[in-house]
Amino acid sequence: MLSRYVVNIAYFLHTCHPYQRIKIFFYNLLENQHYRYKKYFDYFMMGLILLSVYILIRSVKHELSHDWLIFNNYIISLIFLIEYLLRFWVYNNTSKMVIDQYEHDLFLHREFSFSKVLKAIVKEKFEYVTSPMAIIDILAIMPFFHELRIFRIFILFRVLKFFRYAKSLRRLISILASKKFEIMTLVIFALIMIMVSSVLIYVMEANNPDSPVNTLFDALYWSVVTIFTVGYGDIVPVTHEGRSVAMLIIISGIAVISVATSIVVSAFAEKIDEIKEEKFLDKATKLERFYLVCGYSPLTYEVIRKLHKQRLPIVILEKDPQKIEQARAQGLLVIGYDSASLHTYHLLKVNFEQQVEAVILLHESDVANIYAALTIRELTKSIPLYSILHHPENRRKLSLAGINSIINPHEIIGLMSKIVSTQPVAFEVIHALRSEETSTVVEEIWLDSGMSERFFALLHDSLFYQRFSVLGIYKYATEEFLFNPNPDIKIKAGDVAIVIANRSLVDEFRTKLHRKQKK
Amino acid sequence: MKQTCAAIFGYNEYSKQIIEKIKGLYHNVGVFVLTDEELLIAQNHGVLADKFDLSDHWQTIEERFDVGNLVVFCALNDDAENVFLTISLRATFENLSIIALAKDNESMMKMKSAGANKVMPILQIASNVISDILTKPIVTEVLHNVLYEDSDLSIMEVEVTENSPLCGTYLHDTHFKQEFDVILLAVVDNELGTTFSFASHGHNHHINAGDILVAIGYKEKLEYLKRWIRGEIL
Repeated sequence: MLSRYVVNIAYFLHTCHPYQRIKIFFYNLLENQHYRYKKYFDYFMMGLILLSVYILIRSVKHELSHDWLIFNNYIISLIFLIEYLLRFWVYNNTSKMVIDQYEHDLFLHREFSFSKVLKAIVKEKFEYVTSPMAIIDILAIMPFFHELRIFRIFILFRVLKFFRYAKSLRRLISILASKKFEIMTLVIFALIMIMVSSVLIYVMEANNPDSPVNTLFDALYWSVVTIFTVGYGDIVPVTHEGRSVAMLIIISGIAVISVATSIVVSAFAEKIDEIKEEKFLDKATKLERFYLVCGYSPLTYEVIRKLHKQRLPIVILEKDPQKIEQARAQGLLVIGYDSASLHTYHLLKVNFEQQVEAVILLHESDVANIYAALTIRELTKSIPLYSILHHPENRRKLSLAGINSIINPHEIIGLMSKIVSTQPVAFEVIHALRSEETSTVVEEIWLDSGMSERFFALLHDSLFYQRFSVLGIYKYATEEFLFNPNPDIKIKAGDVAIVIANRSLVDEFRTKLHRKQKK
Repeated sequence: MKQTCAAIFGYNEYSKQIIEKIKGLYHNVGVFVLTDEELLIAQNHGVLADKFDLSDHWQTIEERFDVGNLVVFCALNDDAENVFLTISLRATFENLSIIALAKDNESMMKMKSAGANKVMPILQIASNVISDILTKPIVTEVLHNVLYEDSDLSIMEVEVTENSPLCGTYLHDTHFKQEFDVILLAVVDNELGTTFSFASHGHNHHINAGDILVAIGYKEKLEYLKRWIRGEIL
C-alpha cells in the first residue's frame, strides 16, 4: 500500500511541470556555474557572510542592539538553513530513482522493492550530508542556537562558505585536490614527526625543573611551533637531549615547508594551462554575438584585422599549441579546442542562432575545413559558413559539407590579373573604394518601404547633390540590381542602396533618411 | 589595353587561373617554368611551356614576343625567386609591364622595389575578399560582377583625347548620369601624375587631355560614352 502511494507520488512529481521547473531553477541558482543569475545569488550570500563576521567582531567589545542580534542569529541563519535544505533537495532526483526502480521491477515481474530504493535514496542523501561543503554549511547554521555561547564561534564557519561562492577559491581547492596523494603523505609525515618529537621532548625535559616543558601539551605546542619553523622562543629545551631533538625537528621542519611549497607550486604549474583555457572559455561563453573563426594562420590574422572594424568580437578555435601561443601574443581570443569536435561546442555552450554571426573556416587544409563544417552542420543548419579553398578540385566537397560561401584565392588572383592587365586604373579605383584607404567609400544603406520619395528627394539636397552617387538599388525580393535607379522605382523593406560618397556624408545621409521617416 | 602578348612565369594553381582568364585577351601567351617537374605538369595539362633560368639571358623572350607590347606575370612559387625574376626582367627591359604575385604585404614591398608595376599580395587579397563578403555582401557581389563577370554592367577607363568635347570643361558641366546613364567614379589627373580623385568627392575637376575617366554602366552605354569622350561622335 505504502509502496503504491510512493510510486504514485513519484510519477506525479516527475510529470509535474511546475515542480520540475522550480527544481531546475533552484538547481541552476545553487549549482550551475553557467546560469546567468547565479553570480547575483553568490554575491548576496557572500554579503551575508561578511555581515555576519562583522557582527561577531563588533559584539566582542560593543553591546549590539536587539535587532542586529535577531538579524544575525535568526534571519541569516534561516537563509543559510533554507539554502542547505534546497541543496539537499536538488542534490539528486528522488522521484526518478523511485520510477526507475519501479519500472525495473515491473519489467522483471517482481514486486516493487521500496526498501531497496529507500536505501539508495538515503545513501545518496547521506553522501551529500557528509560532503565537506555540506558539513561547513550545517556548521555555519549553528549560531542559530545562539543561546549556547560556544556556537557563536561557528560564525567563522560561515567564512568557509566562501569556497562555495567564490570561483577562484573553488579553483584553488581543485588544484590542491590534484595533489591529494602528495599532500596526504606530507601531512602524515608531519604528524608522525610532531608526535615523535612531542613525546621525546616530554620524556627528555618534563622531569627537569629548569625546563619550561611541564606537560605533554607544552611538548606538543613546542613541536608544532618548531616543525613549522615559527619558533616563538617562549618554550625552549634546556637539556642536551632535548636540544638534540630540537635540532632534528628543525631539519625536518625545513623539509616539510619546502616539500609543501613545491607541492603547491607544481600543482599550479601543472594546472596553469587549464586555468588559462577555462578563463578564455568563460570569456567566450559570455559573448552575446561574435564571429567564430576555425583555425589560426597568417590569413586568419589578416581577416581578423579587417573584421575588427565591425566591433564584433571574434572567437578563434585552434588546437595547435604553437599557433595558440602566436594568436594569443596578438591579443586574440583563442580557445584551445578542436573545431571539428562536438565536445568543443558543448564546452563553449554556444547557441549558434543567437550568438554566432557567421562561422569562417580558415584551417590550412581543405580536409580540416570540411571536417569542421560537417561538425557545425550537425549542430545547426542555418548559420552561414564561409571557407577558404586551398585546392580547386575540393570545391564540390566543401559545397557538399554545407559551406555557403567558398573563397578561392587562386580564382580571385586569376580574375584580378585580367582586370589589372587590361584596366589598371579602373582596378585601382575599385580597390581604393573597397579597401577604404581614402575618405570616399562604397557603402550599403538598408532601406524600408515607403522611403522612395524621401530617398530621391535627399539626393537633390544641396549637401548631397554632385557629392553622393547611388550606384544602384538591390531588390531584396527579386535579387536583381537596378543600376542608376530613377525616382519612379518602388522601394520595399529589405532593399539595399549601394552608394559611393565620403564616409561622413554617408553617415549624414543615413541619419537624415531615418530622421525624416520618423517624422 | 596596349599589350598584345603575355608571358607567365611559373606553373602553379595561380598561374593556371591567370592563363585561364587572360588567354582570350592576348594574341600570344607564353608560359615559362623553372623546373622539369613544372614543365611535366604543364605538359600533362596540355600547356606548352618553356624552361627558363634566372640568369640574365632573355633572348627567348625577345625572339618570341614584341617586348614593347608584352605584359609579364611573375607567379613563381617562391617569393625570393619572384623578386629576383622581377629585378632581372626590369634590369633588361626598362619599359616592360610587370605584374607580380606576392605572398603578403612584406614581399609586395620588395617586388615593388624590384620594379614590378603592379603587385598582388595573395594574403591581403584573400583576407579583403573574406571580410568584404562578411561585412558588405551586396557591394561585394555587385562589384564582383562589374569587375570580373561577363555581366551587362561593366567598368571602363577611357583617356580624354585632344579633340574630346570634355577637354577644357569642368567635371560638373557634364551630367554623366542623366545624359549617358553611366556613373562616373573617378578622374585621374594627367598633371598630378597617377593620383586620382573620386567624382563624388565634390571637387569640380578641370578636365584636360590625357586625364583618365573611370565609369560604371551598361556595356553599350559605356561604349557610346567612350566614343563621345574620344570625340568620335558628336
